[in-house]
Amino acid sequence: MVTSMSQTESPQIDSARIAQVSRGLDRAEIERREKVFSVVNLGVSYNGKPALEDVTLDVHTNTVTAFIGPSGCGKSTFIRCFNRMNDLIPGAKVEGTVLYHGADLYGRAVDPVDVRRRIGMVFQKPNPFPKSIYDNVAFGPRVLGLKSGLDERVEKALHDAALWDEVKNRLKDSALGLSGGQQQRLCIARALAVEPDVILMDEPASALDPISTTRIEDLMHELKREYTIVIVTHNMQQAARVADMTAFFSVLVHEDGSARRGVLVEYDTTAKIFTTPADKRTEDYVTGRFG
Amino acid sequence: MAQARITFQEELRELEQLLDVEAELVLRSLRGAAEALVTGDAELADEVIAFDDDIDDVYLRTERAIELLLARQTPVASDLRLVLAILHSNLHLERMGDLCTTIAKLTKLSADLPSDYVLLEAFREMGERGQEMIRIALDALHQRDAGLAESLLELDELIDRSNRRVVARLLELAPENLEWGLRAIVASRCLERIGDHAVDIGEQAAFLATGEFREFSDASHDTRPLV
Repeated sequence: MVTSMSQTESPQIDSARIAQVSRGLDRAEIERREKVFSVVNLGVSYNGKPALEDVTLDVHTNTVTAFIGPSGCGKSTFIRCFNRMNDLIPGAKVEGTVLYHGADLYGRAVDPVDVRRRIGMVFQKPNPFPKSIYDNVAFGPRVLGLKSGLDERVEKALHDAALWDEVKNRLKDSALGLSGGQQQRLCIARALAVEPDVILMDEPASALDPISTTRIEDLMHELKREYTIVIVTHNMQQAARVADMTAFFSVLVHEDGSARRGVLVEYDTTAKIFTTPADKRTEDYVTGRFG
Repeated sequence: MAQARITFQEELRELEQLLDVEAELVLRSLRGAAEALVTGDAELADEVIAFDDDIDDVYLRTERAIELLLARQTPVASDLRLVLAILHSNLHLERMGDLCTTIAKLTKLSADLPSDYVLLEAFREMGERGQEMIRIALDALHQRDAGLAESLLELDELIDRSNRRVVARLLELAPENLEWGLRAIVASRCLERIGDHAVDIGEQAAFLATGEFREFSDASHDTRPLV
């Protein structure tokens, strides 16, 4: 009996999945998603000294976007622009435009406190309040007057931060008794409890051990289904593992060595940045050839 | 900025040099195999067969070095492409060594049979062309030269043409030459495959240089005659 190739049983092939595995998330696919942030010609200076110049990029919904670069390149300065944290630093001046869902984040009518409710932030060092685990997570909702269904809200936030199973029987215990990794996930739960739209993470795993780091990274993959995540990281492999888009920042030094300022060198899919970056400076940085 | 990861860069260079060592051994094997085939030298054929262990040894050392380097250094971008190109090229070189061994074994089986001088001359030419292609493939890799790599395609076409002529000539042979001819057609195919492997290394060189992998020729849409 003659059997042709087309007559034989072939396994089910998910070609979209294969494309993603072989090339990473497609840039066009990312850019089709709604823009959460549109940054145009952004510059930040401290007491008249430029720290970051002329940054233009978009952040799209339900993605993880990583900012990488050497110390002093302005990546932390940049992420702080997304929830107006630079407002709290005396002498800091932000120029250019940051649109959040199309609206000017630095507009006169915008309340920075409201901004920070929608755009939560997790810092390098876990910073739980010296209160119970429950009260840490309930803090934000209470401040905002969201008192009904508080238990459910706390439980959901702890679930989403992959911490619930570890703390469900000791919610009244002090948060300071948790391990560093658990404290960081608690801080993530605290940010999630007010139902933000975006979570900014500034070096969220740099103070954690490798296992805790892996849990935070896994968590980012889960969280991006519901939230948009922006992360600053020193760890390039972490950016390679978690981010869909990666922006590489570098330091420009004046010829006389006087002023240093951060610039955006390249912004593309993480696959592109870590396989075939367009700019030599990016290549040198990600390969670790210069640093 | 100061240069960094100096040890890693040194390891990458050594890995690339290991490929040269292997290519040098394969060239020696191919020279020997072609010479033994053309002259019907069974002793030389034995040497070629034994020599394959040396090639396998370098192949395995390269393979282990790559595994260790990937595990310890997690290369990215052009460094990753270099490691991947070496990984593939290492296998292609090892296969070429195996093909030389097959030619040597065929030579031993047919050394005492009446041969055909036209075909012997064709094999000499194919062997020399194969050596030239291996050198060009390695040069293209070291020089990150996609244009040089792609020039292999023309040389490969010449070997392919010789291989096709072998079949035509075989059909003209007298019956007493046929047993030798049947073995010779397999040897010819081996020489032709060596050219293909050199083209494959060229594709790796182009990938390394450009960041994009593509096949130089498309076997499923090739309009050239098979034989």
